[in-house]
Amino acid sequence: MYPKQEVVAMLLAGGQGSRLGVLTKKLAKPAVPFGGKYRIIDFPLSNCINSGIEAVGVLTQYQPLLLNEYIGNGQPWDLDGMNSGVTCLSPYQAVEGAEWYSGTANAIYQNISYIERYNPEYVVILSGDHIYKMDYSEMIAFHKKHEADCTIAVIDVSLEEASRFGILNTYENGEIYEFDEKPAVPKSTNASMGIYVFNWNKLRKYLIEDENNPESDHDFGKNVLPLMLQSGERMFAYKFDGYWKDVGTIDSLWDANMDILNPHVQLDLKNICSRNRMLPPHYVGPDAEIQNSLIADGCEVNGKLEFSILFSGVKIGKGAEINSSIIMPGAVIEEGAKVLYSIVSENAHIGKGAVVGGIPEDYPNRDEWGVAVIGDGLNIGDGVKIAPKAMIDTDVEV
Amino acid sequence: MGINLAGIIFANVGEENLPELTSKRTMASVPFGGKYRLVDFPLSNMSNSGINNVALIARSQFHSLLDHVGSGIAWDLSKRRSGLTILSPYGGHSFRHRIEAMYHLNGYFEHLSEEYILLTTSNHAANINYQDMFEYHLKNEADITLMYKNMEIPKDSVNPLVLTLGANNAVTQLLINPRIDGECPLSVGSMIMKKSLLTELVHNCMSTNSLDFRKNLLQDNVCNLKMIGYEFKGHMALVHSLADYYKENMKLMDKAVRDELSTPERPIYTKVRDDAPSRYGLTSHVKGSLVAQGCYIDGDVENCIISKGVHIGKGAKVKNCIIMQDTKIGDGATLDYVIIDKDSTIGDGKQLAGTDTYPIYITKQTTV
Repeated sequence: MYPKQEVVAMLLAGGQGSRLGVLTKKLAKPAVPFGGKYRIIDFPLSNCINSGIEAVGVLTQYQPLLLNEYIGNGQPWDLDGMNSGVTCLSPYQAVEGAEWYSGTANAIYQNISYIERYNPEYVVILSGDHIYKMDYSEMIAFHKKHEADCTIAVIDVSLEEASRFGILNTYENGEIYEFDEKPAVPKSTNASMGIYVFNWNKLRKYLIEDENNPESDHDFGKNVLPLMLQSGERMFAYKFDGYWKDVGTIDSLWDANMDILNPHVQLDLKNICSRNRMLPPHYVGPDAEIQNSLIADGCEVNGKLEFSILFSGVKIGKGAEINSSIIMPGAVIEEGAKVLYSIVSENAHIGKGAVVGGIPEDYPNRDEWGVAVIGDGLNIGDGVKIAPKAMIDTDVEV
Repeated sequence: MGINLAGIIFANVGEENLPELTSKRTMASVPFGGKYRLVDFPLSNMSNSGINNVALIARSQFHSLLDHVGSGIAWDLSKRRSGLTILSPYGGHSFRHRIEAMYHLNGYFEHLSEEYILLTTSNHAANINYQDMFEYHLKNEADITLMYKNMEIPKDSVNPLVLTLGANNAVTQLLINPRIDGECPLSVGSMIMKKSLLTELVHNCMSTNSLDFRKNLLQDNVCNLKMIGYEFKGHMALVHSLADYYKENMKLMDKAVRDELSTPERPIYTKVRDDAPSRYGLTSHVKGSLVAQGCYIDGDVENCIISKGVHIGKGAKVKNCIIMQDTKIGDGATLDYVIIDKDSTIGDGKQLAGTDTYPIYITKQTTV
């Protein structure tokens, strides 16, 4: 018998994130490194503990090895309680057979027994691919105050952007009367953030109903939420006005990292917890030049660094130039190499004098320009040139 | 993996050498190298050597030490059946001398299943494989193995202990505070002996009220016991004075020293703090410096050690300094050869300068 938890959080972390290309070849999207020492999943996990949520189920499916290892016993996030904490929930075999998670709602349906052991009043559904800091307890208080059955967090987007999002149309009091998935002509700019609070008894009922519908894709946004609205449940939109970014594409991942360096963006990393290797402080050499950058432990910097983020243990050789780039843990940039507007993955090696990526100003035809990405552990030989927008998944020699 | 060796660390030994930094903390909790405390070195070395039971004996001023070591989990010394134990004075017993402390802690020793004890102090920074020393002790069938380093006696050290070595590194004489020019085998505070021998020696000393560890427990027994020396050849920062402290910290600017002090196979662990990576502002110029996490730097920094959470304002010029954690340096301040202890604030435009042999020291939580 587990002590009751008023709130249980379920974190959807099974997605492949295919739009991130080589970055998610060997790991799930929530495990992608972010912000110099974090992984994307640190944000929702830290938000949980900072909101007082002590039972968190993480639903894993695609490439779970690194994610499982990273989360471990949950100790870095204080999610290692005696009768609570974080639990990785992967698809499993049962008497009825074995089934992969076929959709977001099905993943939760298959783990009803995990939720029930805590006998919760509310269940919070979260995504493992968003960068934001949010106090979920305020959203739950809003949910309670409005006596809602379901509350969906929304963020105000521009009218142009609105057609890329699921838009919620509401009455003045915040009650939702319509879902508009990627509308051509948006009626409002309230975009769903993929964060839901449900009364557990209601969610349970609709999960079972949805599971029994052979026509359904078992997806929250597409199936369960519209079904609840049709059935006349009380559904509210909760406005969030902090920083929030879906980092599902190379461009948005690069943007979100650069946002940390932007003094006008409200994204501070305080109270975000992470699991890290123990490394010494970083060393800045006598010939280094560093402006507006973020540097983690264990780095050795001897080159020039501007608007860039170095993860732990990165080595930058003499005369190397790094501009507007993200260099992930353990990567080595040799002497005289240039890395411009690029993402270099973990343990990659950029040879002497190589040039990776380019500056947008040099490309009058903007379609030719984009962020270059070098995959995990790859070797880019001395003097090799990698064009902007390239996505490299094998070693490149001259 | 476990070895038949338990560790004892004396947290307060050597404080008389460094009164400035130890007025409000133990020697063990003196900050070192931008993110460590001195105790991180013996704790990590013991953990990396497979020692499972470690006792940290702290006599006084140990609040910051307790906060730092916690359960010992950061050093992997928080296990179900073994781990870190902090032993402090109880029941009005004095822990003024190492011998008294061990005498009153006999109960702890009795419960240890390990047969051998490694005694060490917390006034050095080095990466030591105690497993090698233990094998050496067993192979030589010694009663006591003393670790030494061939070096000149540090000018300011209080009562240094020097070994005279005969054939096969046998200790023929122990000298306290001798006058020797040039290099000599200087004891660096680590030794191994059987637990049964240690408790017997401690008991004998107590019964004759002979409480000086080096004089009564070691020196007086040179003729009765088989003592041998074990040379430590690696880099060791020994802190015997504030000038030494400054010098030894600054040696970390040398890559070879850094690479030896913490290696990927034998890292030095410390308490984890969830600091963000350090942020360099638009007007920062940093050269030849070591920087820990959680800092914000917008000024000029050269040849400095910058600890966790330090803030350096715009136009500040900081050279040859050791800045400890969470200190704030105001815009346009100028500092040269200054050691600033934690949580201090240097106001905008303030100027402070010491020299390489006489750095200025600013105590904890000072506002200038």
